[in-house]
Amino acid sequence: MTTALATRPETPAAVPEPPVRRRRAAGVRRELVGVLFLLPALVIFGLFSWWPILRGLLISFQQTNLVDPATWVGLENFRALTEDPLVGTAVQNTLLFVGLGLLIGFPAPLILAAVMSTIRRGAGVYRVLVYLPVVIPPVVAILLWKWFYDPGSGLFNTLLGQIGLGPYPWLQSSDTAMLSLVLESTWAGMGGAVLIYLAAMTGIPAELYEAAETDGASMWKRIWHIMLPQLRPVIGLLLLLQLLSTVQVFTEPYIFTQGGPDNSTVTVLLLIFRYAFQDGEYGQAAALSVLLAIVLAVLSAIYLRLTRSWSTS
Amino acid sequence: MALSTRPIAVAAGLLAGLALTACSGLTPSTNGDSGDQLVLRVQGKPSPTDKAALDQFDRLVAEFEKQNPGIKIEGTENKWDPLTFATKLAGKSIEDVIQAPLTEPPGLIARKQVQPITGPLKSWNHYQEFNPQVLKVLSDSAGDVYGVPLAPFAQGLVYNRKLFTQAGLNPDKPPTTWDEVRAAAKQIAEKTGKAGFVHESKGNTGGWQLTMGTYSRGGSMESEQGGKYVASFNSEPTKSALTWLQTLRWSDNAMGQNHLVDQDDVVKQFAAGQIGMFMGTPGTYRLAKMKFGLKNTADYGITSLPQSGGSATLAGADVFMVPASVSKEKAEAAVKWLLFAYIEPQFDPQVAAERAKELAANPEAAVGVPTLPLFSAAQQEKINAATKPYVNVELENFKPWLDGTAKLQLQPEPPVAAQKVYTILDTVVQSVLTKRDADIAALLAKAEADVNKVLAAEQK
Repeated sequence: MTTALATRPETPAAVPEPPVRRRRAAGVRRELVGVLFLLPALVIFGLFSWWPILRGLLISFQQTNLVDPATWVGLENFRALTEDPLVGTAVQNTLLFVGLGLLIGFPAPLILAAVMSTIRRGAGVYRVLVYLPVVIPPVVAILLWKWFYDPGSGLFNTLLGQIGLGPYPWLQSSDTAMLSLVLESTWAGMGGAVLIYLAAMTGIPAELYEAAETDGASMWKRIWHIMLPQLRPVIGLLLLLQLLSTVQVFTEPYIFTQGGPDNSTVTVLLLIFRYAFQDGEYGQAAALSVLLAIVLAVLSAIYLRLTRSWSTS
Repeated sequence: MALSTRPIAVAAGLLAGLALTACSGLTPSTNGDSGDQLVLRVQGKPSPTDKAALDQFDRLVAEFEKQNPGIKIEGTENKWDPLTFATKLAGKSIEDVIQAPLTEPPGLIARKQVQPITGPLKSWNHYQEFNPQVLKVLSDSAGDVYGVPLAPFAQGLVYNRKLFTQAGLNPDKPPTTWDEVRAAAKQIAEKTGKAGFVHESKGNTGGWQLTMGTYSRGGSMESEQGGKYVASFNSEPTKSALTWLQTLRWSDNAMGQNHLVDQDDVVKQFAAGQIGMFMGTPGTYRLAKMKFGLKNTADYGITSLPQSGGSATLAGADVFMVPASVSKEKAEAAVKWLLFAYIEPQFDPQVAAERAKELAANPEAAVGVPTLPLFSAAQQEKINAATKPYVNVELENFKPWLDGTAKLQLQPEPPVAAQKVYTILDTVVQSVLTKRDADIAALLAKAEADVNKVLAAEQK
């Protein structure tokens, strides 16, 4: 009896515990609230992101004119891509844009930020000036640069002519057209990266520099051994973001050159655009989009992996 | 309990509101009809900058609705836009009548994105009097007609009369052969420092203009072999057209410095007095005056397409078509509207005169830009006579085009995959204009192989 009493649980009469059914009901209600609050976002994502993605995937295996019912064609659209010589050209051109972007567009904001971080007076003015191109609508910026590049009366050839250089063909030659596109997009896009680098630089403890200076380290050594290692996560992040955006380059070749001269600026996205909106080959456009999406997914996976390892290191 | 139900109510309310908003935004415009009235959404409404034409459009709509009480017209300023066409077609929000340049119908017909309007069109009393050459380019192989043209044109050579005079050339005697064009271009470049002749090269206009050059030298872009079309441009006429361009660009240096241009770029520069000559239709007069502000319209001159071994030119026009998604009932109403608004003034001298008079009330309007006859030449003569008192363009400057074009054969666009062929040929034209050592034979051989692949795929 004693044992029985001793092992008897606390009497429920004193602190009444809700019955299991009621607890479950409360839990379900809480979840329902969560789901209901989540639903608007789910509906929007579903309608405007996931459904188009799914539809794009389906269209890549179909032939359709978007009016009559689509017919399934298996891998025909992908096979057609292998037969189009422009696909290879577009991939090469896109890689060239990515490569030139890494060579020119990637170090430019880092260098600029390093220089700007040493400026004490009027730093705000420089930051505004550097960020200003980001605020200008891309189409306006490109039309402006189109005039800069004009071989006859353009700004660049006029200025270079003053010091006895040029005239250069810029967009008019297949040798220099892609470089011209990269120069504009670097100018237009580097403002954001400069500000991120500047913010990251202010986070580097000043003692590190002071200690290095005391040890007699030169400016290059301080950059190499302190600044760059400290900025590593930010550099990595911006590198991958740049890769993701440059692989999808479209606006520049579309407005500057429409892929010319001699197909030297036809990029993958411009080719997708041409398939869909010029040739009405929606299946082929979707197939190439799927392939591009796979490449972007791989890049994104690398990005996620790296950012995870950096955050844990 | 009260605390737990409130968030549910709030969330449900939000969701309901969102769902309603989303539904209202996503519901296709079905037929947009109000009551017994059929609402017809039509492209072709002039922009507010062209006030004279807009006023006339509004008057036409009012008159049409009076004559057809069951139909209500809703005009939009939209024109053919490849960026939005497919999406609007798929979402069934495309207008019931679309306006596109003549380069588009073959692709739209082949993809079955527009519908035949032969039935309702045939019920018009004067259907048999249409110029068959004009309707041919708007028909499929079975003979079904898919559209009606607004002011059919033939490509010619547009020239700046003032630059001609400045260069010591006679603007009343424009060039008639490509050799004469070359000589004139050289003279303009040397004497005035402006571009003597400019050839378009991007957005498929390079291939399109190379087609004009080829036709005028007796060539063709595609030919039928064993029931299928193959590329036929890798031959002397196209080679000659490209060699001519190469010489003008690199030996004569008479083509200015911008070589990556489309029609808008060219007309804009022409209106600014920077270009001596380019290939275009009389419709470019309107473009130069209304869109790009050509100040002195008397400087605009146009002659028929110069010839060197051929006797042909490329046809051009804006056309009206009915998308495949439109109901039969609306398609019939659409044809009624098209006949009333665009076809009758090109057939009936009295209607043409009334419209011209209305338009001429505004000095900003361009009245009387010559077109090719949509019906017979005799019918066009009657129209010209009736509208003569209201013409405000310098008709004498269009005379070389009218006289010369009458002697030429009108050629349509290449029959299969014209736009894709032009895309491939753009590259050839761009190479010739931007690379001094471009190998024309090699470029054409590669383009021929590429085009044949495209044509084979299209005709499977």
